[in-house]
Amino acid sequence: MILDTIRDVLEYSDVTGYEITDTKIHSWEFYLIRHKLDQHRVRDTEHVVVKVYRSLEGGQYLGSAKAEIAPTASKEEVRTMISRLCEQAAFVKNPMYRLNNRVTFQEEKPKVISVSEIAKDFFDAVHSVNETSGEDINSYEIFIKEIERRIINSEGIDYTVKYPSSMLEIIVNARKEGHEIKLYRNYTSGTCDKAALVRDITETLRFGKDRLLCVPTPKLGKFPVIFSTSDVLSIYEGFYLDRMSAAAKYMRYSDYEIGKPIVENPEGDMVTLYALHELENSSHNFLFDEEGALIRDRCLIRNNIPENFYGNRQFSQYLNLDHSSIVYNYSVEGGTKSASELRKGDCLEIVEFSDFQCHPITGDIAGEIRLAYWRHDGIVTPVSGGSVSGNMRELAKKMYLSKELRQYDSALVPSVTRIEGVQITGIE
Amino acid sequence: MGDDYFHTLFCPLNEKKGWVRMKAPFSNYLNSLAEPMKNLVKILRKDYDYVSILSTDSVGLQISVSPRNKSVSNDNLTTERGNVVRVYKNGLYAEYAFNSFDPAGMKDLAEKIRAELDAQLEVLAATRTKPYFTKKLADEPLTLFVEKEAGILPEKADVNYYINLFGELTAEGMKLAPHAVQCSVTAQSTHISKMFLTMNRDLRQSYVYSEANMLLVAANEEDSRFGYDGISGCKGLEVFEELRPLPKKLAETAEKMLKAKRLVPGEYDIITDPGVTGLIAHEAFGHGVEMDMFVKNRALGKEYINKRVGSDLVTMHEGAKCAESVTAFAFDDEGTLAGDVIEIDHGILKTGIADALSALRLGIAPTGNGKRQNFEHKVYTRMTNTLFDSGENTLEEMIASVEYGYLLEGVESGMEDPKHWGIQCLVSRAYEIKDGKLTGEMYSPVVMTGYVPDLLGSVSMASKDCGVEGNGFCGKGYKEFVKVADGGPYLKARARLG
Repeated sequence: MILDTIRDVLEYSDVTGYEITDTKIHSWEFYLIRHKLDQHRVRDTEHVVVKVYRSLEGGQYLGSAKAEIAPTASKEEVRTMISRLCEQAAFVKNPMYRLNNRVTFQEEKPKVISVSEIAKDFFDAVHSVNETSGEDINSYEIFIKEIERRIINSEGIDYTVKYPSSMLEIIVNARKEGHEIKLYRNYTSGTCDKAALVRDITETLRFGKDRLLCVPTPKLGKFPVIFSTSDVLSIYEGFYLDRMSAAAKYMRYSDYEIGKPIVENPEGDMVTLYALHELENSSHNFLFDEEGALIRDRCLIRNNIPENFYGNRQFSQYLNLDHSSIVYNYSVEGGTKSASELRKGDCLEIVEFSDFQCHPITGDIAGEIRLAYWRHDGIVTPVSGGSVSGNMRELAKKMYLSKELRQYDSALVPSVTRIEGVQITGIE
Repeated sequence: MGDDYFHTLFCPLNEKKGWVRMKAPFSNYLNSLAEPMKNLVKILRKDYDYVSILSTDSVGLQISVSPRNKSVSNDNLTTERGNVVRVYKNGLYAEYAFNSFDPAGMKDLAEKIRAELDAQLEVLAATRTKPYFTKKLADEPLTLFVEKEAGILPEKADVNYYINLFGELTAEGMKLAPHAVQCSVTAQSTHISKMFLTMNRDLRQSYVYSEANMLLVAANEEDSRFGYDGISGCKGLEVFEELRPLPKKLAETAEKMLKAKRLVPGEYDIITDPGVTGLIAHEAFGHGVEMDMFVKNRALGKEYINKRVGSDLVTMHEGAKCAESVTAFAFDDEGTLAGDVIEIDHGILKTGIADALSALRLGIAPTGNGKRQNFEHKVYTRMTNTLFDSGENTLEEMIASVEYGYLLEGVESGMEDPKHWGIQCLVSRAYEIKDGKLTGEMYSPVVMTGYVPDLLGSVSMASKDCGVEGNGFCGKGYKEFVKVADGGPYLKARARLG
């Protein structure tokens, strides 16, 4: 209904082109304290975003402005907003680019999504975890969304994608002799993968138990570090994927160049990174990006050398990229050694940070250590406290990737990544 | 309660720009929705023991400008139009969020809400999930209408003026920094209107907040570094004029950062600027005393009430009434009036902050800290203004007292552990202090970590001044992003830096 009103008003406006995205979300949510229900919620919403374009100065520039228009907006409100967008777009002078055109593609069968069945699966999964008097589940929140997104533009695109998106946030406790700690996990996925969840939560309970045995992290100086949890995504995204975006390149935040190695003379494994249109049970499995571009599988970085930038149609066109789109799913190829081989020798395997970050502009990494396994002289000691720091421009030269892979929702990456020479600030 | 409930800064006519602070008008749309929504409350009240509705209509603007690209959006993270119904029955609370409906069809809408919430109860029964029994919220009669003052409203802004202003500032930044590769301004403003209705309550408020951030990236062949700063306030777009000094400051910072050294990790005397002080306040005893975490037994603070957690110089306030910042609302998203709580009084932890349901479960009064990301999201206990009190020293005295240490400036991010009281603050830069003087040497980046009572217990000096910053968003875990503000004076303490 609101879409008809918007299209009617656009028809008689001064716009050169337009894009409309209509997203309907039906969501069920459950919030639990221990295993008792704190609250249950339903979301039943529709979000319509309109972006208008105006050709400026004889087609040298393209102006744009956007707004969300509420489904309850009156025709007068729609007219006022579209008129405002037209006026604003005249001041937003960016070099000319084109909106996406309709392409032929293999249509997918509509997905059948049952939020109630997915909800039951999440409850079953959490109930299947083996809790003990020492390690148990403190609280959790379940979110299940059925999302239907329709993308329309003035160039004839009218696509609809429908997909599930779920999340389980869970906090586990571990206690010993009056001392108690908590660990936080946030799992996103398409639907519920019960087996993977039970495995991961069980692993987290084990981490909790080990954290109670920790001694202070020693001052190790520059030391090999093993990343074997989702924290490693900060590196693959912050130092590799984000820097391959057309926006980062065009805006000069990234100095990567096609054909030029990301780091010179690497001694470790080479990174090969693919953009994928689909990953099993990812919460981002759909055929088109939010601007209506077909998402294709493509290699972005091969053996440490940038091969293709990616991004939205504006920045992609500025860089003369063909068949580009926004990237939602990606994978990183495994390396030459197994996970167990990478764990050999002295190293610090950090499985819990307060918050591990890799800055996409500087390449700096940093994070406070909450739980790590210090392997030294054949002994494994759980340690806590202190922090890691360094810069990926240097550290990427000695980075080793396991053959085995592990999936974290929309990312499939080596299950173990070893980086030599990370600065460890201990507290003992 | 009248409109003068809040302190507002008097600001006369600005002759240059021709604007004057005036009351930000409450949404006409929400006024038109009041009677249908009251009707919905009445219909649902037949089946539930408590019903409330929060309706929102917040309009805004976001402008981004750099020499290479510009964008304008009439949305930002705090714009919204929608409704959320909260109902209570048999010891259990449930909510239904919606934004597409016919105001003339409230009977049908009530039926839809009942049917879907009942369908969820079937899943809970099938999975043998029991409720966490909670008492019914009080519903004392109260009427409130607040329109706070602002200068330029986002819906009335001259977009061209601000695009040109930001264009001039970013061009100036590029010119002043020889190694600049990019300079950008991102600014946003939201005119918030919210209406909270129950059988006995009718609360309506309207206010405007604005914020802007400026980033200058400099690079040489080996490195990329940046200068970053922002401005914010419970003001309209007029606050963006305060960006004017930033190009020079950021150009100097970014250029110096390219030559910055790496710190030798260790424990040092530190002086924190008001931004870093605010980050400590936020991470140390902001999240640590959110009392929904007390209900879940997820915060150590519960066991430290009336115990020492800092030095005598540490007094900390929290509440929407504490400062005219980006989060200076009149009532929270559960209809609780804004508060001002003393969390730490001269080093002694006195209390925490609580949303209405957590307060009910803990048997205390709510503090006005029940906030939602937007109408679609659940309420959690969230911070508003979290501020350390000022002290008696000057910054010069504080620097003179340091034999060897660092002045920390520029907030990047932080993370806390309420159960273990660990704290992590990523700080942009540290200026070396030797024999009571700044040497001019800069170190970057800096990771400050430690145990909260040790850090606060080491506070030995505090400056007379106090800064409040409200840029960016705060998450709970890695979601639920809301506006918060924090700050305080310069503090001298001892901390581990890496």
